[in-house]
Amino acid sequence: MREVGVTNRHRVLPYLLVAPTLVFVTAFTLLPLGESLVGSLFKHKLNIPRFQIPIYAGLGNYADLFKDPEFLQVVANTGIYVLALIPLLLVAALVLAFLLDGRIKGLAFFRLAVFHPTVLPLVSAATIWMFFLTPGYGLWNQLLHLFGYSGPQNWAGNPSLAIFALALVAFWKNVGFLMLFFLTGLQNLDHSLIEAARLDGAGGLRLVRGVILPLIRRQTLFVTTIAFIGAFQTVDHVFVLTQGGPSGTSTLPLYYLWQLRFERLDVGRGDAVTVLLILVLLAFTITNTLMSERHEN
Amino acid sequence: MRIRATPFFRFAVLLVVAALMLTPLLWALAASLRPPEIPFAQGSVFFASSFSLANYAKAFSLAPFARYYANTIMQVVAIIGAQVITASLAAYAFARYRFPGDRALFIIILLQMMIPTAALLVPNFSTIRFLKLYNTIPGIALPFFGSAFATFLLRQSFLSLPRDLADAAAIDGCRWDQELRNVYLATSRASVAAIVLSSLSYHWNDFLWPLVVTQSDTVRPLTAGLVRFTQMGEIGAQWGLLSAATMIVTLPLFIVFIVFQKQFVRGYISSGIK
Amino acid sequence: MKRLALLCAVLMIALGSGIAAAPVEVSLAYPVAVDAPITAMLKAWSQDYMAKNPDVKVTLIFSGGYPDVKTAIQTAIQGGAKPPTLAVMLATDVYDLVNAKFVDSLDDLVAQAPAGAAFVKDFLPAYMGNSYYKGKLWSVPFQRSAVVLYYNADLFAAAKLAPPKSWDELGKDAQALTVDGGKTRWGIEIPTENPYWTFQPLAIGAGKNVFSDDLTVNFNAPEVIDAVQFYLDLSQKYKATPPGVQASWGTSTQNFAAGKTAMIIHTTGSLAGILKTAKFKVGVMAVPGRKIGTLASVTGGGNLYLTAGHSLEERKAAFAFAQYLLDPARVAAFSQATGYIPHRSSATATAEFKAWMAQVPQAADAVAALASAQPELATQNLNGVKTIFNNYLQAAFNGTQSPTDAMNAAQNASNKTLADYR
Repeated sequence: MREVGVTNRHRVLPYLLVAPTLVFVTAFTLLPLGESLVGSLFKHKLNIPRFQIPIYAGLGNYADLFKDPEFLQVVANTGIYVLALIPLLLVAALVLAFLLDGRIKGLAFFRLAVFHPTVLPLVSAATIWMFFLTPGYGLWNQLLHLFGYSGPQNWAGNPSLAIFALALVAFWKNVGFLMLFFLTGLQNLDHSLIEAARLDGAGGLRLVRGVILPLIRRQTLFVTTIAFIGAFQTVDHVFVLTQGGPSGTSTLPLYYLWQLRFERLDVGRGDAVTVLLILVLLAFTITNTLMSERHEN
Repeated sequence: MRIRATPFFRFAVLLVVAALMLTPLLWALAASLRPPEIPFAQGSVFFASSFSLANYAKAFSLAPFARYYANTIMQVVAIIGAQVITASLAAYAFARYRFPGDRALFIIILLQMMIPTAALLVPNFSTIRFLKLYNTIPGIALPFFGSAFATFLLRQSFLSLPRDLADAAAIDGCRWDQELRNVYLATSRASVAAIVLSSLSYHWNDFLWPLVVTQSDTVRPLTAGLVRFTQMGEIGAQWGLLSAATMIVTLPLFIVFIVFQKQFVRGYISSGIK
Repeated sequence: MKRLALLCAVLMIALGSGIAAAPVEVSLAYPVAVDAPITAMLKAWSQDYMAKNPDVKVTLIFSGGYPDVKTAIQTAIQGGAKPPTLAVMLATDVYDLVNAKFVDSLDDLVAQAPAGAAFVKDFLPAYMGNSYYKGKLWSVPFQRSAVVLYYNADLFAAAKLAPPKSWDELGKDAQALTVDGGKTRWGIEIPTENPYWTFQPLAIGAGKNVFSDDLTVNFNAPEVIDAVQFYLDLSQKYKATPPGVQASWGTSTQNFAAGKTAMIIHTTGSLAGILKTAKFKVGVMAVPGRKIGTLASVTGGGNLYLTAGHSLEERKAAFAFAQYLLDPARVAAFSQATGYIPHRSSATATAEFKAWMAQVPQAADAVAALASAQPELATQNLNGVKTIFNNYLQAAFNGTQSPTDAMNAAQNASNKTLADYR
């Protein structure tokens, strides 16, 4: 931090300069957070005359949520979604990073092929996959058929498969993005360390597991966090592919939030879900920060 | 290459991966060019007997894509412009001056990086409504005018300005805005580019927030406009039409990406650093 | 001096008429997929109306489906913007809309419109069931339908079968007409991705509708549970329909026309499309009930609502446009083009429509099915109750819960949710 001679003029200036950013961040991040916290303590439903004026309910909204099978199903859906998507994303992104690290013919083309879904809007990715997943002539089903799959074809319309259809789209869209971070990590590795290990006799998988993976632990942690947060933040594909169904088996938290507030007009409960969603994401971000700091020490 | 594997094997695997990853987009492209009279159940999608632009013509007649493009551009330009300005000012203050409470204020601003704005759509909707900005482009853009990420990045960049340059500028006696523009920002072009590109890709593709805070075609962006084509109702799926609409939204973006690949990648990498 | 006064007067009159000529805006939000044949018809009518009424500007807004229109209206009103003046939404959404004050009553407009009372009286009573709440009129029928059984009459004749008259016959007929375990042809397809509506005729046919009033649901009534069991029987016992939940609302009509299924349960709104694509004789009838000779159906479709927040001038213009759209001749033309059942007595009485019914006997059958129709599920917190009922129905259909358990759970959850409204 540079010390500058402070004159009268400059005593106020820094505050003025910071003010715009501060105002917007407060107005659209901090205050809303507070609003949600407070709002979640009230029962406020726009389509019930009795609750059109908010009535204080303490933690009632939260208690109702955790007793509500629909909310519990959303939690379950999220669990399945995250368990299916994140490990797959991490492994695939890492493997792709290995494959794309170094010199190879057509590298730019391959990188483009893997990375291009990231640039597209998720809405477009979902519409493309909507067609791709069509039972019968949809290429996805034809591909599966090639591998001898004989199960249900309508993934988006099947209660047990809908959530995986969503995970599939999210995977296709994000694997390139995550691979990029691993690639940067791999490219920044100290080659001498790896050469030393190889000379020592470590080869192939042992090299990867024993030497490289530990060296990119920070990247891995980081990529996991982004993947996790990303999984919660975007639900465009739910709107396009499944609308949360069938039977609510593919409702993700943010979509549930939207339904509560804008379809069912349950403002109080919407605020409660907002708070819970933010708490989960905050917990994850803080854990990541703590873990990476501990690792660096 | 760290893993010992024959180059050929690696190339083959990459080829398969590339084919798999590119197939959905290519398939949609093929579907969009298929003459509408030929049902999809008949024949192969990739090798149709003839090509037709009828789906595109129909898509254009059913939704004002030009308007959607204009709306998206306006909204994104507003956001990026505002972000660069507010972040430059704040980053300059944090990097150049020391003042009571500067640490606290910086942390307050950084909090935004930990709280995803997407989750705050309910209270932000109320705020926009309160400001009477519902169904306007400023209504879509306003919540993003302050960016903790941009501030953080620029502050980093400003702080790394070589000491002698900074001192020289200070001694020079020029006004703060001249100093900011000619010295600090001029040497932070990479950071600014990163901010621009990562904001661009996030907000160009933003769907839920514009959907919630607008209702008419005169202000809706491409993403919200595209979703109309997916609501199939009673007539069943019209894949050709839907694919054409998707291509209209996606292809230009795709082409821009191919041209500016390096810059996009750089932008994405720094966006993840938050 | 006099010439100056005259000039002033002329100027004022010219200015005055110029100012008064600013057109009143009437917008109509209509739930239809982006590209449906109906849009052309509606566009033509709105052009015609504007030509006849140059002081009115009509805008048509097409958006998705009924839920999309409703959500759009809600969000617009909450956002503080003006929603479209008129909106076609489900007749059954009335409680939610009125409670949340998103729609205005039509009573005062009916009172001041020419022949307003007669206009309202002309609607078929079967379709006015959800138009009144708290003693006021809130909507008028716009496109109304009913659930019917479509059957391939040629296949039935070839197999020497008569159209089914009871559940037993329905099951047996479907079984007889199933070929190759469904791979070549199913006996019947019943779309159940949004099951409450296609399921209601089965419940009604068992003897009890799934609800009694805006605060009472009968999900765990023995008749309703029996109806769930019958749906399961169709796939498990008769092996005549795909097992589990059938996500085939969009595809079942195509399958029926292509001969891949001998019967479907679908909306009369699909009639025109089916008649156009099917190359065999199409039969239409209400869904057979449990007992021989009984029939059951359920009404559906959308009503025209007037949204809240418009000036008296706008509302008057909107009501006039509504009267134009619902003119008997246009209602008849609309029905002929779509298969939606005409909801005005005067519409069915036109010579033109009678001639058409003679030409297209299926239309007459559809109208006849109306006689066995009971109201569609309509309660307070309709979204919540529908979601609960749909989820548990699908759980029963998929076998994750027994019919009794699922329906009991549905009843309990719904009661809890409705308790807030008592």
